[in-house]
Amino acid sequence: MAKDKITSSSTAEYFSKNLQQVGFSSPTKAVLTTLKEAVDNSLDACEEQGILPEISVVIEKKGTGTLKNTDLIHIRVEDNGPGLSLDDVPKVFGEYLASSKFGRGRCSRGQQGIGISAATTWAQLTSAKGVTVTTKTKTMRQAVQVQVAVDIKHNKGVLKEKKEGKLKNPHGLSVEFLIDGRIQLQGEGGLITYLTGTALVNPHLTLHYTLPDQKPVTISRVSNDCPEVPSATEPHPHTMKLGEFIAHSHLFGRITLKAWLKKGFSRISDNSLAEFVKNGLNKKMLDMSVDKINEAQFKDIFSVIHKTELMSPSTKSVMTIGEESFSKSVRRLGEVDFFSVVTRKPTICDYKPVAVEVAVARLKGVTKGEGTEDGPVQVLRFANRVPLQFDKSACAMVKAIESVNWRAYGLQQPKDSLPSGPYVVAVSLVSPFIKFKNASKETIDASDELVEELRRTLIQAGQRLSRHIKKEHREQDLENKLRYIEQFCPILVDCLCRITKAPEKRKKKATEGLEKILGRDLTAAKKEFKEADLAAKEAAAKGKIQIITDDAVEAPELEEKPSKGKKREVKSQQPEAKPTKTTAKASVKRAASKEKSAT
Amino acid sequence: MRSETIPKISKELCNRMLSDLENARRPILEAVKCSLDNSNYSPKVGYLTPGDKKVRTELNVSSVQKMSRAIFLLEVLLRNIDTGAVNTKRELYYIAKGEVKHDPHLKPLDFQDQSESDAVIDFICEMLECYREDLNCYANDRGGQTYSNQLVVTETLPDGTKAVVDLSSLGTSPFQPKNRPQSLQLKAKKKIDFCLVVESEGTANTFVANGFCKRNNSILIGAQGVPSNAVRGWAKLIQDQLRVPIYFFGDLDAYTIQNIYRTLKAGSAASLIRNSDFSAPDVHFLGVLPEDIKKYDLSDYPVKETDQSEARALKKAADALKNDPFFQDKRNKNLAKMLEWLLKNKRRCEQQAFFMVDPRDPTMPEKIIVEKIKKGNFI
Repeated sequence: MAKDKITSSSTAEYFSKNLQQVGFSSPTKAVLTTLKEAVDNSLDACEEQGILPEISVVIEKKGTGTLKNTDLIHIRVEDNGPGLSLDDVPKVFGEYLASSKFGRGRCSRGQQGIGISAATTWAQLTSAKGVTVTTKTKTMRQAVQVQVAVDIKHNKGVLKEKKEGKLKNPHGLSVEFLIDGRIQLQGEGGLITYLTGTALVNPHLTLHYTLPDQKPVTISRVSNDCPEVPSATEPHPHTMKLGEFIAHSHLFGRITLKAWLKKGFSRISDNSLAEFVKNGLNKKMLDMSVDKINEAQFKDIFSVIHKTELMSPSTKSVMTIGEESFSKSVRRLGEVDFFSVVTRKPTICDYKPVAVEVAVARLKGVTKGEGTEDGPVQVLRFANRVPLQFDKSACAMVKAIESVNWRAYGLQQPKDSLPSGPYVVAVSLVSPFIKFKNASKETIDASDELVEELRRTLIQAGQRLSRHIKKEHREQDLENKLRYIEQFCPILVDCLCRITKAPEKRKKKATEGLEKILGRDLTAAKKEFKEADLAAKEAAAKGKIQIITDDAVEAPELEEKPSKGKKREVKSQQPEAKPTKTTAKASVKRAASKEKSAT
Repeated sequence: MRSETIPKISKELCNRMLSDLENARRPILEAVKCSLDNSNYSPKVGYLTPGDKKVRTELNVSSVQKMSRAIFLLEVLLRNIDTGAVNTKRELYYIAKGEVKHDPHLKPLDFQDQSESDAVIDFICEMLECYREDLNCYANDRGGQTYSNQLVVTETLPDGTKAVVDLSSLGTSPFQPKNRPQSLQLKAKKKIDFCLVVESEGTANTFVANGFCKRNNSILIGAQGVPSNAVRGWAKLIQDQLRVPIYFFGDLDAYTIQNIYRTLKAGSAASLIRNSDFSAPDVHFLGVLPEDIKKYDLSDYPVKETDQSEARALKKAADALKNDPFFQDKRNKNLAKMLEWLLKNKRRCEQQAFFMVDPRDPTMPEKIIVEKIKKGNFI
């Protein structure tokens, strides 16, 4: 027998000692995770109430941190959401596993109610202060500011220093953390990468952010449709295991099997019942009461249901961005040349409904890091609209990208690696039950079924993209031919005339003849280019790819904020999306005039 | 083809191209296809000859660069012929770059690499069916160092004067044959019994130092690996002018037989247009033969298949047995058998292994060679 007394600990105690498991493993990650949890909560809260989110983020350095090699960082996130009642504030910010979403099978960003409490704990541990929350609901007359701390011993939130607060919006919530951390702006784990990524997969979001040593930035929304929060639908029978299936029946009491299947599950209709009978289900059993069905019979029913093809889970059970909104949002990535977007129908992978969306965009003017001409493409990963920024190589999304033969679509790709070139590959996975590899939700487990589904979406996006790339190749071909004609024709004729000592008259005639010959080649190249151009345009018309041209350029989405309170329009932080010079058109014009003169 | 005729046919070619252009017709350049699938072998002829296949380059937008470069370099080469200047391929590469530098108008023709200008020179040769030496483009004279106490060489110099070289008067220095042996005349002061071409130049030097040429009325040549044009032309000259039997002595391995010996005896697929003057069909393979290993108890060892170059040599030998008309000919069935033996046993034996027969007698390899010649123990 062990001499030591066995004691039990609170959840808060466990997490306070293991914060590295939930994203606080380094000072850099601590800043990012705190920001991420605050922004995720704001977005979830706004969407729940159908409010178009407008979030302001301010991050500042306030001095030196207490931990070695850290700064004291102030993080403030304010939203225009519904706000929280004072009763809920300590639960949300100071209590672990207190969540309105846990186990409800919805595609919300937060799930278990750990993240924001962990951020409060980190603030409490490093700066001895919890989180400062300012809230105002519609029913509150005045915004209230409180400080929340975590009672680690009892896993409870404690309110302190309640006073009158101030918010920009008529209702909403503001959270302020003072933590030890380090700021990384760019790169895989950078704050800017997180913020722009969040904007990409949330087209309905207006985001203002101010980061240290950076000018304030506003990313305006490109969609006024607030995504419908997926309602908690009945479970799809294919997503269940046998034990779950039997337990589910116990919730319905005395009810016939037929009624239970139709009421207790989604996607089971009278037609499906007929299919079950066809596939071997005893018809009489359908009228039996579920409480009379024994385990062996349940097993038979379960296997028949799994054998029968059913409609995929409802699209309402997963929250997709949609091709239209995603297309608009992709443009906010920078100077986008062209892109393709694919939203796949939801399907089942590993017994869970999932929906995959992919955007592949080519950027202009990227000179260093990922997404340059020679480097690997920039991969943006999203799970339930939250950017994933660490442990890229082990992620199912990266494995799926590497498994696609991108060379077939005109991209460069070293063997078994990411393709290379100035492209961004954004992969978004939405599912009520995403299988993460760790509690800090940094990387998605690579099951075969999921990788295959991701791969198919990527292939579709690649196929769409290839139409445009093919057109470009033709355009390049035409350009080369034009250049060749201009460069080599006079040299060839000159050399021949010098060797043969031909008179000027012959030289002139030979030049004309040569232009005629090459003009014929040009006509063929022009025809090929026109065909490829037509194919690309058709694809663009069907919304399969988009090419950014003069007409497509919209008002700049990235705006600087006036520095001293004055309202004025200022230039975008990044250079405006310049129209792609339609070089092919110019080439064709030149070619046409050449041909005219030649013939 | 003689250098004097090249300007004429070049002019005709350019005139034809110019007329085609004047009439808005696409000029076509034709060149012999120099590859194994266009190689014929007849034992009566004795070397690989080109078949009917031609490489046709019709002027279009894609080929205009190649054609322009060919005509540009042809002009440079014709100028060389006219002035009597000679150059190597590397020098021509720099001359071409110099032309471009002095006339920016020619910039599109600029060569990024010597391999690009080399390919154009080869194309011109294949088009005009001439040797590069006919275009005054010479390669470095590599290999073929020759020793003999009986041989006298008379060289006709470009200005018409003649230089006579008595090889016996050179002491221990060898005679270095030229890439263009057609200007040499050979004479034997005394009857020459045979000519021995040794694969390793070092071993050839050893033989001479040990008195091979004093004891044997012979010509001794060091091939220095794959025979250069100089060695090939030189062997052909000895065969035709002196009519002495020629023997090749080298390693017993796939590379030596398929690459070195075959090239010396019948030329190569890459040089189909010049094999007639650059191969010695009467040369025999003296050894090392597979039976020599047993007979003289020579040390052999397995081929390392993990070694890339050796694995490539074996693969090439297997291909040669299937596709090379030289090895497919009945007259060369003993050579083909030897290749098969090498492929099957995957062993090799070096020429220097003859030194182990009697380690204290430095002339033992010579004795074995002479004995093999006398007994007709060769292929």
